Amino acid sequence: SPPTLPGNFLIAGSWANDVRCWEVQDSGQTIPKAQQMHTGPVLDVCWSDDGSKVFTASCDKTAKMWDLNSNQAIQIAQHDAPVKTIHWIKAPNYSCVMTGSWDKTLKFWDTRSSNPMMVLQLPERCYCADVIYPMAVVATAERGLIVYQLESQPSEFRRIESPLKHQHRCVAIFKDKQNKPTGFALGSIEGRVAIHYINPPNPAKDNFTFKCHRSNGTNTSAPQDIYAVNGIAFHPVHGTLATVGSDGRFSFWDKDARTKLKTSEQLDQPIAACCFNHNGNIFAYASSYDWSKGHEFYNPQKKNYIFLRNAAEELKPRNKK
Amino acid sequence: MTICQFFLQGRCRFGNRCWNEHPGSGGAVGGRQPQPSGSNRRGWNTTSQRYSNVIQPSSFSKSTPWGGSRDQEKPSFGSFDSGASTSRNRGFALSQNPFASPSSDEDKDEKKLLEGIVKDMEVWESSGQWMFSVYSPVKKKSNISGFTDISPEELRLEYHNFLTSNNLQSYLSEVKDGVNQAAPTFGFGSRQAVTFGSPGFPVNNSSSGSAQNFSFKPSSGFATATSGSASVSQNTPAFGAAPSASSAITTSTPAFGFRKPEITSAASFSFKSPAASGFGLPGFSGFPASMAAGPVGVPVAPAFGSSSSVAGFGGAGSRSHTAFSKSSGDAFGISSMSASLPVSSGSTTTDNVLFTPKDQLTAEELEQFQSKKFTLGRIPLKPPPVELLNI
Repeated sequence: SPPTLPGNFLIAGSWANDVRCWEVQDSGQTIPKAQQMHTGPVLDVCWSDDGSKVFTASCDKTAKMWDLNSNQAIQIAQHDAPVKTIHWIKAPNYSCVMTGSWDKTLKFWDTRSSNPMMVLQLPERCYCADVIYPMAVVATAERGLIVYQLESQPSEFRRIESPLKHQHRCVAIFKDKQNKPTGFALGSIEGRVAIHYINPPNPAKDNFTFKCHRSNGTNTSAPQDIYAVNGIAFHPVHGTLATVGSDGRFSFWDKDARTKLKTSEQLDQPIAACCFNHNGNIFAYASSYDWSKGHEFYNPQKKNYIFLRNAAEELKPRNKK
Repeated sequence: MTICQFFLQGRCRFGNRCWNEHPGSGGAVGGRQPQPSGSNRRGWNTTSQRYSNVIQPSSFSKSTPWGGSRDQEKPSFGSFDSGASTSRNRGFALSQNPFASPSSDEDKDEKKLLEGIVKDMEVWESSGQWMFSVYSPVKKKSNISGFTDISPEELRLEYHNFLTSNNLQSYLSEVKDGVNQAAPTFGFGSRQAVTFGSPGFPVNNSSSGSAQNFSFKPSSGFATATSGSASVSQNTPAFGAAPSASSAITTSTPAFGFRKPEITSAASFSFKSPAASGFGLPGFSGFPASMAAGPVGVPVAPAFGSSSSVAGFGGAGSRSHTAFSKSSGDAFGISSMSASLPVSSGSTTTDNVLFTPKDQLTAEELEQFQSKKFTLGRIPLKPPPVELLNI
């Protein structure tokens, strides 16, 4: 259930079929504002660029647009299988909603029409996606990885061999110093994140992977516990990244210095999702069971939390060389 | 004398007559032919360097030793370690060319690859990682067949769906099949499989009743069939239910044989996949069709598919002849299962087809059933006799 926040409102979708909105004040207080329901668990949410609408993707195979001013939600998309990802695309000549689904298609919707503007086939079920105009990246099952370019109209740019050996779990695009998207970070179930540049000057050196969300880091004789990386988010200002995992921890990393900035204490539940607010001051992460150990470990009595954390200081990158 | 390069590669045409030095077997073997046919290594090298060719034999050799080490049925990690390390040794013994003393570069790479894979597998199992993931030994190469890719959300969705439709045991049997499918492929069991497969029931199971004493191990008691309770199907025996790649079946068999020693494995093996094994119990071939229409309709990873339906049903069948009709009735007593009625009625009639009477078995088959685990190549195709079932 990913939270998103521009304008210091927090939206979170959950497996209880609902989407909730809170207002976050500077003091850290949150005020619940509104709620919308789907008929199936909500898998992804995202904001429109002006912050007036929220798009929600659900296992009921639809996606809805929620107008916050009027508190109305209308369906804008339909798939043949649960919709796993949803992103808003704002291009100079068009704007649309991109939905990725387990029916192996990527559909682009003009919110006013009930037919998709475009349908792109994916090699497999869509597991995660991210969009920063003009680049979109989609990671699918069977270790598929596709990059799209969104100028004039979305088209497939390149299929990339996955730098990871296991199932993809989450992906996030990062920008370079000129604020243009230049690469992405890909997380897998194996506690590993790969940093991949799209057009690097030196691919062998620039692209790398690092291990994270494992217990027992140095002791190699005892078995490590390896946890899935559930979410990756990049700090909008500093360019440093945060990862959250099934081990119930979050970590901050500096990919340019290739160092870890911080690892949190362990929460008692896995952290399912995370994100930053628009200026990077607040880091939100959601603590709830992510099904990483099957149903036996599901305890419906445990409460789910979303934590907000002051992120302005901790994510500053290390000193540049 | 100079060392003969061709000899090092195992293909010197002159053999004894060669003017160069043949280290190691200087006078031993005469007139060797360039390509010793018995060399597995050569075969692997000459066929394309595609990793899939390498992987299948290696995983095969891997699982057999694990099968051996699992005899004591200790799900502790210690046995894993020994199993894995022996497998590594044996894997290399298997893959080493007995003729060439120093290995060529290709061999080294393959060895490294095998090593890497074995290590990865060890880590994977021991670490409590998510099981349902594809895997490839080298980045940027294609995946190894036999692994299915299911995300946690999909699994959870399955769970939710089945919860609402009151079909929890179908979900469980599906998970179990997925587990058993994934597990034999890398000789899982113990930690992960048990946690995944054993249906410790969540609180909100509507009809839980007394069905708490589940156990994954075959020899322990099966839950007594209580009416309407979802107790039964968790003991679905380990099916190496047909994965998409047929080669994975061969790899799963050895592990499979030891997983559930004796009876249930025999029965379940025969049910494994009527298409694949060609067993074709007459009563069952019709069922997968009807069952597939049931709760498996949810679009989960294709590997589940119809095989899980066979599994769920066959599992109930193979349990015991006495409790047979009851158990099948219970497993599918939930009314939402449209196929339940024909199933339960059909089950009793197929009772006698499930188990062969002892006199119909050949001596070899009988011996196989009586032994603790099957030996490869001699796995009986008929179901076991009723008398040998150990309930």
